[in-house]
Order: sequence, then C-alpha cells, then structure tokens
Amino acid sequence: MENQPMNQRPPKTWLVESILVTLFCCLPFGIAGIVNAAKVESRFYAKDVEGAQRASSEAGKWTKIGFFIGIAGIAIYFILMILGVAAGFLAS
Amino acid sequence: MQLDSWQAKIKWIVISLLLGFIVLNYWSYNPETTNHFPSCPFKLITGYKCAGCGSQRAIHHLLHLNIGRSFKSNPLLIISLPYILMGIYLDLKKNPSPKILQFRKSLYGTTAIFLILTIIIGFWIIRNICDL
Repeated sequence: MENQPMNQRPPKTWLVESILVTLFCCLPFGIAGIVNAAKVESRFYAKDVEGAQRASSEAGKWTKIGFFIGIAGIAIYFILMILGVAAGFLAS
Repeated sequence: MQLDSWQAKIKWIVISLLLGFIVLNYWSYNPETTNHFPSCPFKLITGYKCAGCGSQRAIHHLLHLNIGRSFKSNPLLIISLPYILMGIYLDLKKNPSPKILQFRKSLYGTTAIFLILTIIIGFWIIRNICDL
C-alpha cells in the first residue's frame, strides 16, 4: 500500500510545546525538542514516515523532560520557601 | 470505559484548577517586586540572561494588558505568541484540508523550525550584548 504523506499531517512535532519549554522552563531541553521537531518534518516530507515517528517520540521525550524538570524546580523552590518562612517564624 | 472517562474528567479539573491558580498568581503579584517566583538558574549561575528570562514579568504585564511593558520584559515571548496560538490551532484542527496542510508546511516545516532556532539563539546572544 502506497503511503501518501502529502495529504496527511506529519506526526506530532511538539514544536509549540518545545518553544514554550524553551521560554519558560529550561532552554537546553526545549532546543533539543525543536531540533527533533525539524527532523520530524524533514523525514515526513522525504516519505520516511517511520523515521518521522521516531523523531516525534524523541521530540516528545525531550519536551516532557524539560517540562517536568521545570515543574520539579518550581516545586522544590516552593518547598524551600515554605521551610524558610517556617524557620523564620520559629526563630522569631 | 466508565473509569477512563472519570479519570479524564478529574485530570481536566486538576489541570484547569492549577492553570487558574497560576494565572491568578501571575495576575496578582509582580515578579519584579515580590520574591516568591522562581528565578532563572542559568542567570543565577552565569549572570547572563537566557532567551526565556523575563517571561514571568512579561506574563504579569500581559495579564494586565500592558503590551508595551510586557514587550520590554521579553520581546521574544510577545513576538512568538501569535505563532504559538496559530500552531496550537493547526495541531488541533481535525481533517485539515490540503490548503491548510500546505500553509502548515510552509510556516511550521523544516526551514521554519531552523529559522526559529536561529532566532532564539540569536536573541539569546544579542540580548546579553545590547541589554534587551
């Protein structure tokens, strides 16, 4: 069966999510996501659908890693701040 | 099946509550004058700004519809906002027509993505030289 990628959307590129991760959480992982988004596009339009799928999951992986590191960082920050406030109360 | 739909519902409730809390937080407090917002680890370690620095201030000003100050905090965020919204729309649109796919390919394809990378890294360097 002949695949006709031209009439379909490429697999999820995670481009938008990667840009958001770049701007809000951690730049390096966001950039890894953007590079993989480019790979998804180029492979898909070179009719390498399987390779595009692989790049898509790779892009998703980096984006999610960046996202969760950002979330974890914020959570740790909040915990430290609450501890700090509590320590301040105890000391006063 | 029943359980799945419940899980999905709970997931959406938690996400929207969290999002509402975040929006309220950024609307009520200015990250410039309060210190309960996390700061950029890159800036903390190196002293240089990253491409995302100022995003929290930008969101605070944006929620107050102050586009000018928002732009000053992080121009890249404001510039990329229409592009991000358009990208979300194109990702979610069901059964896109060939015309839309062509449009998507030219604006969100390989060349465009490498252009975005260049813009982000260029902005990252230039903002540290020109104090943007």
